[in-house]
Amino acid sequence: MEPTVQVFWTPKKGNSQEEYEDAFGCAVEEGRFAIADGATESSFAEIWSTILTQKFISAPPEGQPPEHQSLINWVAPLQKEWHSNIMWDRLPWFAEEKARKGAFATFLGMEFNEEEEVEEGIMDKLLFMFKKQKNTGPRWRALTIGDSNMYQIRDDELITSWPLTKGIQFTHRPTLISSNPTANETVWDHFIYETGEFEEGDTFILATDAIAKWFLDRVELGEKPWHMLNKIKSEEDFSNLVAELRSGLKMQNDDTTIISIHWEESSADD
Amino acid sequence: MPYSAEISRTNPGCFIFLIDQSGSMIEPISGGDGRRKCDIVSDSINRLLHNLIIKCARGEGIRDFYELAVVGYGATVAPGFSGPLAGRDIVALSEVANNPARVEERVKDLDDGAGGIIQQKTKFPVWFEPIAKGTTPMGAALDLAHHLLTGWCQSHNYSYPPIVINISDGEATDFGPEPQAEALTTLHTSDGNVLLLNIHISGENLTPIVFPDSDEDLPDEFARTLFEVSSPLPANMRELAKNENLTLGEEARGFAFNADMIELIRFLDIGTRSSTMR
Repeated sequence: MEPTVQVFWTPKKGNSQEEYEDAFGCAVEEGRFAIADGATESSFAEIWSTILTQKFISAPPEGQPPEHQSLINWVAPLQKEWHSNIMWDRLPWFAEEKARKGAFATFLGMEFNEEEEVEEGIMDKLLFMFKKQKNTGPRWRALTIGDSNMYQIRDDELITSWPLTKGIQFTHRPTLISSNPTANETVWDHFIYETGEFEEGDTFILATDAIAKWFLDRVELGEKPWHMLNKIKSEEDFSNLVAELRSGLKMQNDDTTIISIHWEESSADD
Repeated sequence: MPYSAEISRTNPGCFIFLIDQSGSMIEPISGGDGRRKCDIVSDSINRLLHNLIIKCARGEGIRDFYELAVVGYGATVAPGFSGPLAGRDIVALSEVANNPARVEERVKDLDDGAGGIIQQKTKFPVWFEPIAKGTTPMGAALDLAHHLLTGWCQSHNYSYPPIVINISDGEATDFGPEPQAEALTTLHTSDGNVLLLNIHISGENLTPIVFPDSDEDLPDEFARTLFEVSSPLPANMRELAKNENLTLGEEARGFAFNADMIELIRFLDIGTRSSTMR
């Protein structure tokens, strides 16, 4: 299998492209994809969301699922990187005070493995035959904090909506990961990990909150919003769709980002 | 629905603070450990501006979600900024941020997390100085707010309506404030009328009356007049007040009587912390 990957993004209406604070990262060869939504109330959130996504696609946290300590170890150098990206001595008093509070973001990272190798403990060895049958197909693994969401579509049906399953679950106060270590004391329990299988023909959509909520709202009305997304061929198409949904009050005015990953038979398999 | 406009740089919000600077403001405020009313009020305004600036700071600059003016009334009725902004009326928040009169260094007591107290130095920018001199020309102050907001409302028709917060410790001495307040609160944007919130602060240790929905429990004619000229609270402010564990009715007015130091700070917070900023 090989993925066809499309990324579309557009800033909040009224903001410039430079003020876009979502971020995305794709490492197609490695099968890793990530999105993050920098909290607009914080400063330098675009740097933080970019660092989170880029680090995940190059070196995701260790462990399946990652333990708290693994997450802490993973985030610590990212926080240093964020800090070193800011020209602290050039900031006026208010900008420095704001930045010292840290930047905040939601995050969702996914990794696809076509031939999953099962990590074998003693129990795994005893259950080898069972595991062999259950767990060795193509699998995805995902890690998230906050309200960015993932959808898996198979045979024109939504088969996974993760971690949120209803439009009403999107609030204005999602849990966020911060560039400031002191702001993260209670967040580690809020990281969620999930894994599942995938197959040829599946499409995955990673979405930041505004479009993710619209998507679930439409599903709840019995619609198939991926049909509208499938028609998008360019950034312009995407911007037009988002503008239309915002003006019809079907979508919140916010930075909006999707990654679409469609798995199909690879040409080498022919 | 009124009072639901999103506050943005294209359609900024506007605050006007009217500050009583009459001679009686030199007296101690209730709950202020002997500190003078004028000191507590100027500290509260400076801290409020500071918080608003931090809230709107992004990267190296400020996003101008708000414009604001401070008007002092006592011996004179005039714009109240000190320093580089002296004499200016409505100013964009970024100009306020970049032009404090001075930045003081203050010491703040912080919990050290182990049962002790540690002291931390913090920067305290000052834009507005304490003054206590003269009478209480509240009517003229409301007139000046009316003058400033007439043009503002015309040029910001899609903005959240301006919020005028009047802080005083006594009765108007200039045939105010009813006609002037009425004129002021007929000004409007497409999102609703100008909101007038009144805080009466007291030196006496009396129970504060905050956001009442009728004038029944108010002690005198002066209090009833201030209640009458105060705007009904829009839904988002009622929600903020309820989150502060205040009990208030659907008809609650933006009014506090006999406020002590704590109520003054809470009232200012609820009056300026809009839930619609994006």
